[in-house]
Amino acid sequence: MRPISILVIINILLFGLLYVYTEPLDTSILIAGGVLTLLILVSYIIIVKARMGDQYIFLLISMLSSLGIVMIYRLDPNFGFRQITWYGLGVILYFLSYGIFRWIRNWDEYMYLYIGFGIVLFILTFTVGTTIKGATNWIRIGDFVFQPAEIIKISFIFFIASYFTYPDKLKNIYYFLGISYVHILFLVAQRDMGMAMLFYSIFISIFYVFYKDYKLVFYNFAAAILIVVYGYFTMTHVQVRFEAWINPWRDIAGRGYQITQSLFAIATGGFFGTGLGLGYPDYIPEVHTDFIFSAIAEEMGTFGAMAVVLLYFLLIYRSFKITLTIQDTFKKIIALGITLTYSYQTFMIIGGVIKLIPLTGITMPFISYGGSALVSAFIAFGILQAVSKKSYETEELMDFEPQ
Amino acid sequence: MFPILSWIIRYLFIALIYYFIYNIIRLIYLDISRINGKQKKKYNTPYLKLINRKETLDFEIEEFYDLKDATTIGRKKGNDIQIMDRFISSNHAKITMDEGEYFLEDIGSVNGTYLNTKKLQDVIKLKSGDRIGLGQVEFLFVKEVE
Repeated sequence: MRPISILVIINILLFGLLYVYTEPLDTSILIAGGVLTLLILVSYIIIVKARMGDQYIFLLISMLSSLGIVMIYRLDPNFGFRQITWYGLGVILYFLSYGIFRWIRNWDEYMYLYIGFGIVLFILTFTVGTTIKGATNWIRIGDFVFQPAEIIKISFIFFIASYFTYPDKLKNIYYFLGISYVHILFLVAQRDMGMAMLFYSIFISIFYVFYKDYKLVFYNFAAAILIVVYGYFTMTHVQVRFEAWINPWRDIAGRGYQITQSLFAIATGGFFGTGLGLGYPDYIPEVHTDFIFSAIAEEMGTFGAMAVVLLYFLLIYRSFKITLTIQDTFKKIIALGITLTYSYQTFMIIGGVIKLIPLTGITMPFISYGGSALVSAFIAFGILQAVSKKSYETEELMDFEPQ
Repeated sequence: MFPILSWIIRYLFIALIYYFIYNIIRLIYLDISRINGKQKKKYNTPYLKLINRKETLDFEIEEFYDLKDATTIGRKKGNDIQIMDRFISSNHAKITMDEGEYFLEDIGSVNGTYLNTKKLQDVIKLKSGDRIGLGQVEFLFVKEVE
């Protein structure tokens, strides 16, 4: 059986179950699920027929998003419907970013534009931003809020890529370091620690891969450790997170409540889970965004959660393979940056909810509820898809070249 | 009613999602082994290289075609090299190997086959660097000398 048909069967089963789950039977979920499955099917056929490069990326993304939508709907039907709308918008943007990235040829020449875009959005967040759950990292337009950092993520990767393609554009390496740290400091000032950590990881990884002088990389790494230690002693919210990680049981009703509830949920699931709709993941605060992995582990079991991790593995493996086949430096760094962003993000949030590393508020790619996160992930992978098209063409050429 | 359904579906779901993962891994594996197979084959086999720019042709065509002992070219399905050019006949030309040499033959095409801009009348021996023209397409015959 082809993977796409298995995906369709899984969707039919899960959405059928959700239809029975809601108390007064509600056919709108069946319609929404049908539309979603049809959208996945049509997009997949377009990608295969139009030879748009790698065909596994979209399959894996769709599997993850369908699981996310099912779980979110089970937690809160309203959020579920909104997430389906976001998914639809995401798919449109996926194809758009694929087209635009291929259409415009000289992406590597607009370094100042990427810097400007990032800084202006950060300043806008400070001046007109709204504070939600202790972090000033949202901009409200009408009824609609979005997180600028999700979009800046992409412009940040573009900035790093264009710098390493033409390093002479900036006077010396310290200008580059300065601009990168300005991005990260803005995030620290917004009290968005997870995002700051993510930006730093992307920056240091690409810096390590593409900069020859390891001494400077090492100094940067050492400086980062100093900053973390300094941050721990000066910022109370970092301390709270750290203590909740070391020993959440000491303050189980307060600071450690979220993480302990998450651990209880994962433990309740066992190997096969309680079954969809039969567990109690609602006890965990923020279960539909940051802690959705615990809800999956509870209701779909350890095997279900492992399957999710495996899906991420495959997605990241595919992205790395694309990165390795590209010759062009700029596109190589773009692909590497996108791959790293989503692999670090997955590691940080899954590690956080299972108490492997301190919890940082970051979304789980494609599964968590959240419009801007989902949309920016679709844009990023649309770009990767465009890059993969190119890499496939060169791969074919390389194969046949006589030696 | 709902708990029973949910119980059944959780096992089905886990079986299906691992089957999905298995299938993707298998397809990726096939993908990679196909590329490796190509690399092995490229030694010593002569091939046709497309001279036209791929973008100028409005039908599907590969940049390279490997030649077998007998390779047929035409528009009809079942030809070893199928090209959907409307100036190419259903069964257009044939390249056969005999004692290590390759011979080009027109098998009753309407618009003819050209070798180095001369229309082909009879079976002719190919040497490396020959240009073969059919319809709107032009190929370069490449044969490595050991």
